[in-house]
Amino acid sequence: MVNRMIFENVLHRPIRTLVSVLAVAIEVGMVMLVVGMTHGMLHETARRVQGVGADIMVQPPGASLFLGLTQAPMPVQVGERLAQIPHVLAVTPVLLFLNTRGGINLIYGVDMPTFKQVSGGFIFLRGGPFEHPYDMLVDDWYARSNDVKVGETINLLNNNFRVSGLVEHGMGARIFIPLSTAQDLTGARDKASIFYIKCTDPGYIQSVSTSIRGLLPTHQVLAVKEYVSLMTSNDLPALDAFITAMIAVAVGIGFLVIFLSMYTTITERTREIGILKSLGAGKRYIIGVILREAGLLSVIGILAGYGGTWLARKAIVAAFPTLTVELTIHWALLAGLLALGGSLLGAFYPAIRAARLDPVDSLAYE
Amino acid sequence: MGSIFLETVADETRARTGCMEPIIATDNLTKTYRVGKVDVPALRGVDLVVQEGEFLAVVGPSGCGKSTLLHVLGGLTRPSGGRVLVDGNDFMRMNDGERTKFRRHKIGFVFQRYNLLPTLTARHNIAIAQHIQGDGFNPHRFDSVAEMLGIRDKLDRKPYALSGGEQQRVAIARAVICEPKLLLADEPTGNLDTENSQVVLNMLRNLNRDFRQTILMITHNPEAASVGDRIVRMRDGRIVSD
Repeated sequence: MVNRMIFENVLHRPIRTLVSVLAVAIEVGMVMLVVGMTHGMLHETARRVQGVGADIMVQPPGASLFLGLTQAPMPVQVGERLAQIPHVLAVTPVLLFLNTRGGINLIYGVDMPTFKQVSGGFIFLRGGPFEHPYDMLVDDWYARSNDVKVGETINLLNNNFRVSGLVEHGMGARIFIPLSTAQDLTGARDKASIFYIKCTDPGYIQSVSTSIRGLLPTHQVLAVKEYVSLMTSNDLPALDAFITAMIAVAVGIGFLVIFLSMYTTITERTREIGILKSLGAGKRYIIGVILREAGLLSVIGILAGYGGTWLARKAIVAAFPTLTVELTIHWALLAGLLALGGSLLGAFYPAIRAARLDPVDSLAYE
Repeated sequence: MGSIFLETVADETRARTGCMEPIIATDNLTKTYRVGKVDVPALRGVDLVVQEGEFLAVVGPSGCGKSTLLHVLGGLTRPSGGRVLVDGNDFMRMNDGERTKFRRHKIGFVFQRYNLLPTLTARHNIAIAQHIQGDGFNPHRFDSVAEMLGIRDKLDRKPYALSGGEQQRVAIARAVICEPKLLLADEPTGNLDTENSQVVLNMLRNLNRDFRQTILMITHNPEAASVGDRIVRMRDGRIVSD
């Protein structure tokens, strides 16, 4: 009976229902998309680093774990010393920098011969390797999202580059240029941001890492497997704080809208609450009715949020093929629980207020 | 003190009417509302005894305290002073929760403005009283009440699709569905035309006659009041004739 009354109330006020459902749906969508995009970006970056095929990576002190960016790159000559360590098969220096024109893109300046030794070489889908200093390679995702074709000219850091080849994605970055050109463009002559090291056998990773730490005690030496395991928001405090802030904003929106919705509903339905009280409905009954109504709105909103998030993910991936949005059951459930909890919390004060209404005043309410 | 008072009124009742126990007994009942910084006395010492099975009409001009008396007797508001016993329960000693529970099981209300829940059908408006009482839906009782009040064919309509008379019959059905000991009617014909007023009054009369339903009805209308067994007149928060 109460369910019917709640259902009828929800149907009776379609605009209020729509606004409440929309707010909860946005809340759920915001949580799922922010987390999905953040985690997607992290995991995709990790997968691409893993895709280089190296066993160990060496970065200068203070370099960012996430993108490997640094303000103080290392001399390329360090690579020669690393190559002399026993059980090291190959070492390749990479200079990383960001291009912000037409979106933020990580660019790898690579030394093609040593990069090939470490990674096994690019898989070319079209075109071929660099032939000139201002040649570039792009991966298939970048090419698709930016409609780039082999032979086309692209402006990077105020210089025109010719796309010499289109390679399969998953090798560190989406754009590659010759290392020497990258050094010239960034003013980091003979410098590298990162060294990728391939061991003769994976069993030597530990001993080679120890040797490198002895040689470069202040540098960051990480096994690539370890790096991949560290690429979670928990290990990136700023990112974790960002996600928490976004979730708090989303839950806050849901809380406030449900609070306002139920608060105005109580005012609007003061007389009806008086009627229920005249029939003998106690405080617990009234609170239960209000909370269950908020719960129903919330559940509809959560389901709408799931649907909306799925559609938004499709739209985002279609518009920006280089973005990865990871939607997981774990975060879907968490977003749903947060939305439900926020809604019930938002409805609690209006419910208490309704339960405390004076029945005589409520019945006289116009 | 309460039991002495109750015994006294019970004795008086027995002496006057035979063996019936009073369902309502008030002694110097007062109710004062606080409006801003001003105390407004609505009841100034009401002494009233109503027997089980009686149909009592309370008449009086606007503002004389009729509705306040009904609200106090229905447990909707706490009296300020004096004593009020309803079915042996002392409202002065009961808190809001206890009065609500008592109201749920023992009292039915009929209002001038019907007070049906606008989103529910007539059927559900009646059934919700059973739900709140907590005894569950009783289809036999439901059918007999709907039949008695002539609303069988209106049960699936929402209040806006019912005439005033039909809405009031649904409201009466809701009030009596849980077989309350006391039916309190606040100007039940106040919003109805003559024909519908007569229908509603006849139904109340039948409920009282056929089921010995105790009814306390407030009305402005002398014709409506004449349906009752007994007429009590109020003025300035007091009973002036009984």
